[in-house]
Amino acid sequence: MIWVAIVGSAIATYLIRSLPFAITLSGRLPPAATRYLEALPVAIIAGLVGPAVVAPAGALTHGPEPLAVALVVATVAWRRSLLAGVIVGVVSVALLRLI
Amino acid sequence: MSLLVFAGASQFAMVRLFSESAPTLIVVASVLFINLRHALMAASLRSQLQGLPLVGRLVAAFFLTDEAFAMATGHFRRGGRSLAYYFVFAISLYVLWNVATLGGIVLGDAIGDPRRFGVDFAITATFTGIVVLAIRHRTDVAIAIVAALVAGALALAGASTIAVITAGAIAPLIAVFVRR
Repeated sequence: MIWVAIVGSAIATYLIRSLPFAITLSGRLPPAATRYLEALPVAIIAGLVGPAVVAPAGALTHGPEPLAVALVVATVAWRRSLLAGVIVGVVSVALLRLI
Repeated sequence: MSLLVFAGASQFAMVRLFSESAPTLIVVASVLFINLRHALMAASLRSQLQGLPLVGRLVAAFFLTDEAFAMATGHFRRGGRSLAYYFVFAISLYVLWNVATLGGIVLGDAIGDPRRFGVDFAITATFTGIVVLAIRHRTDVAIAIVAALVAGALALAGASTIAVITAGAIAPLIAVFVRR
């Protein structure tokens, strides 16, 4: 039974990812659709961050995540460096959990 | 499982559902829901991958993950055009993920709680940094904040399976209605 679920999930996962790639639209997209698609990446990635910050374990956090994410935003905005942001984030979470 | 269902969040969900011996249909439906967001990501990457033949795009789709999408988006927004970046990153991720899965099976209990080292926060910090670097207009700031709040609120309300897809689909509407 577990294998049926694994293979079923594998197919579902793949179909979801490949359909938008496989279908080719003809003609040009209207400007509103273009603006929507251009804004998608920021929205999706920010949408991944939200739950990880407020509810990393499925319930409202009392942990260091909100403070740490603020430090990451400040670091990356200031240094324009992804690596610096990740280092500040990981170190601050580790330190804040010690307290 | 890691070899076939290359999808972190849904793999964790599957493990939890298996331990509750959930029906097969429920498992597959949950995975489908959790991964709906990849349809949005694929829609957003389409224009960059349009030069590839169908087979190439279908291969690209298998390796599409949150992380590969985030890194590729960062790359293209910096003006990068090379698709090799996407493939090298996405496929190395697949190899590392499976090596790490094997490592987890072998070592497992010896490691203890990895949260101690703050490593679990690295991905969140990476995504946050990518969003900050990708922001070019004031509308982008509004979109990022709305998306994070909507997804966070849905996760708190217990709807974490649909949190990202809902936030990702709603927040870009700001760009459609706000004049730049």
